[in-house]
Amino acid sequence: MSRTWIDPLSGFEPEKAPREVATNDYLSPQTTWNETTRFKPKMYKVGRLNFFYKWPGHGGHLWSRTRYWPTRRRVLNIGGTYNQKTMRREKTILDKRPIWWTIAFAAFLLMPFAVPGDLWNTVMTAAAVFGIYAAVNLCWMLIIGTAGIYSLASYAVVGAAAYGATYIAILTGIPWWMLPLAGAAIGLVFGVIIALPAMRLDGFYYALLTLGVVELGRVYVIQSRVFGSATGGLYGAPSYLPDDLSQQDQLLYGYYASLLVMVAALFLYRFVNGKRLGRVLRMAPEKKEAFAEACGVDYRRARVSVFLLSSTAIGAIGGFYASHFGGASPNLFSFDTLLLALAMLVIGGIGRSEGAVAGTAIVVFIDRVLIDWGPLRFVLIGLIMLLVVLFLRDGLFGIKPQFRAWRDKKKSERRATRAEKGGEMLPEEATETENKDEIYYRRFDKMQRDFIKRLVTNEIIEEHRSRPLGQHSEALDRLLIYFRRQGQVDKYAILVTEEFKAYRIVALSGHRGTAPRVVEDKVYLNPNEAYHALFLRRVQDLLET
Amino acid sequence: MAELKIFGYANKISVKPGDAITFHVNADGTSTAQAQLVRLIHGDTHPAGPGYKEEEILSPLNGAWDVRKQFTQVGSYCTVEDPEGRLAVDGSFSLCAFVYPNHPGDGLRQCLLGRWDAFGNRGYGLWLNPAGLLEFGYGNGQEVDYIDGEVPLLKQHWYFVAATYDAKTGVATLYQESAANRYNSRLGKVAGIDYRSHVRETLRFKPVNPPEVPFLLAGAQDFHTLRGTFVTQGLNGKLDRPSVYDRVLTREDLDAYRKSGQGPADGIVAFWDTSSGYTAEGIGDTVVDIGPHRLHAVGYNRPVRAQTGFNWNGKSHSFQVAPHEFGGIEFHDDAIIDCNWAVTRSWTVPELRSGAYGIRLRIGDGTGIREEYIVFFVRARQPKAPIAFLVPTASYLAYANEHLSFDAEIMQPLAGQSPILSELDIEMYQTESFGLSLYDTHSDGAGCCYSSYRRPILNMRPKARMSSMGVTWQLPADLSVIAWLEHAGYDYEVLTDEDLHLEGLDALKPYRLVLTGTHPEYVSEAMLDATEDYVEQGGRLIYMGGNGYYWNIGMRTDEPWCVEVRKLNSGMRAWQARPGEYHMATNGQKSGIWKDLGRPPQKLTGVGFISEGFDSARPFRRMPDSWHRRVDWMFEGIEGEMLGDFGLAHEAAGGLEIDRYDLALGTPPHSLIVASSGGHSDNYVTVTEEVLYPYPGLSGSHDYRIRADMVFFTAPNDGAVFSTGSIAFGQSLPFNNFDNNIAKLLSNIVNSFQSQKKVPGWSWTLEEKQIR
Repeated sequence: MSRTWIDPLSGFEPEKAPREVATNDYLSPQTTWNETTRFKPKMYKVGRLNFFYKWPGHGGHLWSRTRYWPTRRRVLNIGGTYNQKTMRREKTILDKRPIWWTIAFAAFLLMPFAVPGDLWNTVMTAAAVFGIYAAVNLCWMLIIGTAGIYSLASYAVVGAAAYGATYIAILTGIPWWMLPLAGAAIGLVFGVIIALPAMRLDGFYYALLTLGVVELGRVYVIQSRVFGSATGGLYGAPSYLPDDLSQQDQLLYGYYASLLVMVAALFLYRFVNGKRLGRVLRMAPEKKEAFAEACGVDYRRARVSVFLLSSTAIGAIGGFYASHFGGASPNLFSFDTLLLALAMLVIGGIGRSEGAVAGTAIVVFIDRVLIDWGPLRFVLIGLIMLLVVLFLRDGLFGIKPQFRAWRDKKKSERRATRAEKGGEMLPEEATETENKDEIYYRRFDKMQRDFIKRLVTNEIIEEHRSRPLGQHSEALDRLLIYFRRQGQVDKYAILVTEEFKAYRIVALSGHRGTAPRVVEDKVYLNPNEAYHALFLRRVQDLLET
Repeated sequence: MAELKIFGYANKISVKPGDAITFHVNADGTSTAQAQLVRLIHGDTHPAGPGYKEEEILSPLNGAWDVRKQFTQVGSYCTVEDPEGRLAVDGSFSLCAFVYPNHPGDGLRQCLLGRWDAFGNRGYGLWLNPAGLLEFGYGNGQEVDYIDGEVPLLKQHWYFVAATYDAKTGVATLYQESAANRYNSRLGKVAGIDYRSHVRETLRFKPVNPPEVPFLLAGAQDFHTLRGTFVTQGLNGKLDRPSVYDRVLTREDLDAYRKSGQGPADGIVAFWDTSSGYTAEGIGDTVVDIGPHRLHAVGYNRPVRAQTGFNWNGKSHSFQVAPHEFGGIEFHDDAIIDCNWAVTRSWTVPELRSGAYGIRLRIGDGTGIREEYIVFFVRARQPKAPIAFLVPTASYLAYANEHLSFDAEIMQPLAGQSPILSELDIEMYQTESFGLSLYDTHSDGAGCCYSSYRRPILNMRPKARMSSMGVTWQLPADLSVIAWLEHAGYDYEVLTDEDLHLEGLDALKPYRLVLTGTHPEYVSEAMLDATEDYVEQGGRLIYMGGNGYYWNIGMRTDEPWCVEVRKLNSGMRAWQARPGEYHMATNGQKSGIWKDLGRPPQKLTGVGFISEGFDSARPFRRMPDSWHRRVDWMFEGIEGEMLGDFGLAHEAAGGLEIDRYDLALGTPPHSLIVASSGGHSDNYVTVTEEVLYPYPGLSGSHDYRIRADMVFFTAPNDGAVFSTGSIAFGQSLPFNNFDNNIAKLLSNIVNSFQSQKKVPGWSWTLEEKQIR
């Protein structure tokens, strides 16, 4: 199918024979346009119905924003946007968590009045346990989630503080409000003791070590006569509730007191996790410590601070625990308590306060309210935990981002199977493209490429090799103009390493300030060789799309 | 150890013996550099030519120089001298400005105005935050409190924004309203966009205003241990009439301000009337404060003045007609006019032969970015030679550190080839502080209208090649002409565009013959006038290139290191000025191409720009007129009709950018076309200013106009002009060690032009009456 092309400039050199080059048959550039009359993939309608109310913007009205005194935090983080489909001004609540928390607190407060009478005692007892456990879990979450220290000794600290506080109370007769203080002191001491190895160990080994501490505690209190090896616990701590309350009121007040402890723990969580300390630690997750350190982050100090802070808080909760239950039991050191607590964290999702609270609620409900189920309820807890671990990446509260990630993955998979590589946009993509001009560019580019691919022949390549610059036959000219018109990102260029001696092929970054990257090792001896090598690369890239 | 690099610049580009010049050098990875004063002779390493040539000159400058790392303040902004700390308002205050953001959001924090210490979190400021929202905030040294707007500012739209702060209650209020009209912004009414935002919030603590924090327009102060204080958070966009009040302006106050551009009279701390102080000659860097304290602001790195303001309504197009509508002052965070590096060496120029000189600095292996030439030109103290080579330094500046290969998508189709990049090109592209050329756009998309030589210019040095075209360009190409003058043994001196602009005709008058550079594209009115007068008064001019006398540029007489251009509407232009911004701040003249101002280059040289192409070049062939005795003397000793079918630029003398004879554009009617190139490839396309309707057939193989014409005409008082009409012409001179017909032709012309005698053939002027 080869023909010859006569250089139209030949007339300017009348003494020479006209330059003739073997070239392609003429092919109309409209060919691909005429051949293409419909999309190959099935086109679906797109568009999402606005089925809920969107507030308009404030426009010319003054918008007074309120804050939580005395912080900088706004009561609700509301952002204004332009709707890309209409350019209408809209408002969006960027963080809805304060709303959910408010609803949850209201539910906690009103819960006692909604529980059926026959279950009331059971539920209220469990609810108080929930408050205390949730508080402990929040502090523990700081250690595991924020500081990234795999400590399993938190309940052992609770135990130690509860035992210690009870013991002191029995010995000295201190009032109930001293118990959390005593517990805090014990927690701090305990914290220091188990923080020291944390400086050297990490991950699995540290977990193992803390497990040893837990077991040591359990064996000690079971064996120790002072700590009630005979009575199965140490009792006699003063209660914070007045003695003259009815049992019902005791349960009610006990519940609200535990709830208060949980709220206090939430504040602690917020102030550690959401402030400087938490940010420093999130910069230094496990296995990235070296990077953080290189950036000037003193993560060890931060970890130990969080650890000590949490241990002290856990100790205080232990003191409260002693006052709430009138003493301490070796159960706190037992392995099943630890496992249940771990289940609470995992189900809710590591690293989130709402995860700790919701996880605790679920597990405590199953453990303490569904008592009729007997041992089956542990199977249920185990099953839930197993499912969470198997299918959820970040517990219950990680479901939303996980779902979105999954949806995105599926979306791109399906689009990839429907759309042609380098082809036109699907309606789904087009609707996400702000500059609609790009949609047409994709169509035009596809037509161009499909057309010029048919122009690649050995004759054309030979023509280029023999003369990379200057007047070319129509077919080669089209190819070159297409190549040269491409965008700057990853566009090939030539790098001269020694003038008139050594050239290499590079690709431009298309981004000001970023050097081109070298694409191959080969060295070309003169510009013409390099031009041709670059041309061959472009041809290859073209044929691959 | 850091990578070895060395770069420098001189504070002057043109000196005479006896003048003082300073050199400013930055070095990475070393503290000494080997310096050598050299006279530059030939700058093209192409194997078809004589190769690179320089002459080492004995000088006390030679030897080891102590060099060090130097820092560059990039970005344009305005400083305010405020010794009494009036802008450190302690009570209630308001900040106001009209703003036209070029590039809001995108992760950039841009300070509109304020007294802000970004390192220590002290002071106050009004910003566009990284999300593009208007933000007012302040700090007390530990903490920052702020309030931001409801919706982001949209790009290229005039807004009036303000923040008021009530010190008693801590209440801060933001005011954001559109100030667009039918003309001044990107979007029109029909887009139906609500631009407004009015937000109020009670902030927590009081700002702290330490005395050492400076007030800046379009920037904020930052600190680095090695560098000390510097300015960051630069604005990309225009400000108009910013102000500071020492009271809380009410909504009504601000509404009136927005509509009129005039704030309320009471409570002004400073009110910078950006449209004030305009003179017929242009605008300086001082932004006038019309408030009681006269706290004038001064631009650094030359913010662009005379831009259209919030109230520009499309009726007037010059700040001289309606100055109040041209209060826009435009800032770019990547602008650079003067690196202001510490002086590395000072030198008083001794008696040196006039010519192109360079300080060659070498570190390490002395190649690539480890070798630097700081180029400057030495004039004669008293002109003695008959010949002057006029170095087109203004055009060197226009192309200084051009980014075309990297940033311009059009460059490969335009040049008909892929770029050949060198280590220097890549270093230039990676280093923001080397600045931009008049062919680049700022990172916010606006065209770069200023270029200066008080910064390292990586392509204004010998051996450099224009990456996008694979040939030498400007200085290294002009050195081929100098090398030829040198080789042929002519008595010549050099002078530069700067001298011509400052001294006018006096600079040229002592010379019998002036040769231009190969691409003297950028000329000011003073330069053009002087050249025209020189020819008219009997001077002889050889226009050695193509696409010359093209753009009208501005140059301040007191700051000649910086040139200004506005590219507009017509001409081969890398960017397009916004409507209404066609007049140069430097001198008030309309910029653009001289053709559109009534002075096509044909009126001076007989030829003007017709086409450009970079994939090939073509030889000239004698035209029949060249056998006329008025010009046939040029061809003495030349065999055949073909001229310049060789060269260092794509192997022929007619190419790159080419000029054509055109009576309609003012070619003197008695001009002769001596020779023309032809057969240009289709990469040569007719220039836009000659195209009314683009139609197929405006390229080399179709359009007869696409050619380079060698044109000759005689001028009054025994003057004469010869134009080569092609940039590639100069690069054919060194071929075969200067022994070729282009060099022969040129020496025939130079020999007769430099003499006091009349040009040969002057008397062959009668009407032809031959029987033949």
